[in-house]
Amino acid sequence: MSLDSATADRITAVVLFALGLAMLVGGYTMDRLEIRQIHPASIPGLLPMILGATMMLCATLLFVGAARRARAEAIEPISNDGGESWGRMAATAGLSALYALVLVGWLPFFFATALYVGLFILIFTWPGSGTRAGKVKVVVIALVFALVTAAAISALFRYGFLVRLP
Amino acid sequence: MEGLAALGSAFAGLASFGTLFNVAWATLLGIFVGSLPGLTATMGVALLTTLTYTLDRDTAILVLICMYVGAIYGGSRSAILLNIPGTPASAATSLDGYPLAQQGRAGYAMALATSGSVLGTFVGIILLVLLAPLLARAALSFGSFEFFWLAVFGIVISGQLTAETSPLKGYIAGLLGLMVAMIGSEGIHAHVRFNFDIQDLNGGIGLIPAMVGAFGFAEVLTVMWRAKAKLVAKRKDEDRVLPRLSDLWRYKFTIGRSGVIGTMIGIIPGVGEDIGAWASYAAARRRSRERKMFGKGSTEGLTAAETGNSAVVPGALIPALTLAVPGSAPAAVLIAALFIHGIRPGPMIMVEMPDFIYSVAIMLTFAMLAIGVFGLTLTRLFILILRVPREILMPIVFTLCVIGPYALTQRLFDIWVMVAFGFLGFVLRQMKYPMAPLVLGIILGSLLDKNLRRGLMLSDGDLTPFFTRPISAVFVVLIVATIAMSIPSVRAFVSRLFGGAGDRS
Repeated sequence: MSLDSATADRITAVVLFALGLAMLVGGYTMDRLEIRQIHPASIPGLLPMILGATMMLCATLLFVGAARRARAEAIEPISNDGGESWGRMAATAGLSALYALVLVGWLPFFFATALYVGLFILIFTWPGSGTRAGKVKVVVIALVFALVTAAAISALFRYGFLVRLP
Repeated sequence: MEGLAALGSAFAGLASFGTLFNVAWATLLGIFVGSLPGLTATMGVALLTTLTYTLDRDTAILVLICMYVGAIYGGSRSAILLNIPGTPASAATSLDGYPLAQQGRAGYAMALATSGSVLGTFVGIILLVLLAPLLARAALSFGSFEFFWLAVFGIVISGQLTAETSPLKGYIAGLLGLMVAMIGSEGIHAHVRFNFDIQDLNGGIGLIPAMVGAFGFAEVLTVMWRAKAKLVAKRKDEDRVLPRLSDLWRYKFTIGRSGVIGTMIGIIPGVGEDIGAWASYAAARRRSRERKMFGKGSTEGLTAAETGNSAVVPGALIPALTLAVPGSAPAAVLIAALFIHGIRPGPMIMVEMPDFIYSVAIMLTFAMLAIGVFGLTLTRLFILILRVPREILMPIVFTLCVIGPYALTQRLFDIWVMVAFGFLGFVLRQMKYPMAPLVLGIILGSLLDKNLRRGLMLSDGDLTPFFTRPISAVFVVLIVATIAMSIPSVRAFVSRLFGGAGDRS
């Protein structure tokens, strides 16, 4: 799967065009502050309107360019064999988002961090078909790193930088 | 003479045991960050900014500059040993550094990279001291019209030069950055724009959470997405870890030229170290007698690339300090850090704080000496650092990405902003949209907005002064030429025209 392709460009162009249009409309309908008798050339929506229109133009050019690119890709397809793993990326994204958006603020920072670091190490170093001793070793390493990292970072920010931790 | 006296007094103000200690740890940390693939200079500076707000002004700026210099230099380690640039700035380094490592000369390649980086930074510092006061004085004559075009020029040139595939994607990244900057209270009438009734958006999107996300979290995702890198283990007994002075003397013109090219590229808004390295590498290759060796383990190519990328650092600080327009992505974060610590970069800096530019030059000199000492003495240690498993390092980095932005404002909202920009940065990078124009857009949005409307108020709505004032007119010509040159048919026409002229002569 590649995000750098003609199809991706076409979809992005549509999204960007919609974004540009929203900005243009948002700028146009924005309060012109007549009640404060400001200079008409200094309305707050002026630059958003210009940016919106420019983005729509760029999105159109991207869409047109994507058609040309699609023809080139039909002759020479994109190859992706660099060993990248979307599964690994999705697991990282999911776990990290869970930590940042849910655990932090819900659990005390120390516990949230220890849980995140421990799970991260376990998930990515777990020896699926390894021996029992190997699995115990991974669990111990994950546990030690999780506790040490959580304690060190919490102490650094709490006592070093006087931050009230979430 | 006046400059030398200012440099002397800046040195006297900074020379202390505490300064040396801070230089040592911050530069080491910078080299560590730069040498690990996935951790970049921008991310290092952004994360460290969140840790400096309790420090005094000079110490904070000193450690951030040491981090910046160290990280740009550190990128050469993984470029040479893993064929993966630790930072994008070292992409050109890997072309010759990795073949040298494969020949069993990794130690010597790293020694040359160190020497090149030290000398490149030195050339950059000299030009910083010479050019920054002049530019600051010239910028005093800039009005709203000129600042408006300067911001537009920054976005256009950054989009043009940093885009991997098409300049259009660079322009779009710049526009996205400008759009992000439109969120929150605007600077003339304090009207809140696009806050969608979310109170936390009234002050706008913070640059630090956005940068930590786009450069930190996005890189964590990228590192885990990629395949594991393999370390070159081959090493010849005669491989040395100190550079030969004869080699450095032989490449004196390459070093001087690369230093000047790097600094000049640094001055161009939002372009950055990677372009500085490529431009220096290309220039060295064109003029080299051993042209055929480039890409196959040329020591001259390696020296040119490393000299070029390191010279960009002082160069990027020239517009950052004198115009508040960053020359690179890490310099953009540094501008935010300057504001946090009560320094107002811009044309008034030579009036309000005339010694500050010289203090920065001394800080850069300390950092330069530190990379020289550490680079030549701790080669083995840095090889060990590259063996740290990503499965252990990445959760620690992400934890810092979470707590760092939070520490600045103590708002959970900034953590959400960081996560959102992380995903956005990852997707944009996969789609080959450059990050530098996006950063520049966020930084320059307010400058562009305020100066457009202020200019229009001054001219009572008349657009003519935007095109007729001499400096504005020069900017307009540059912008039109830059955009025109990004159109393939125009570029082909121009090259035919000049190629044809060359043929006739």
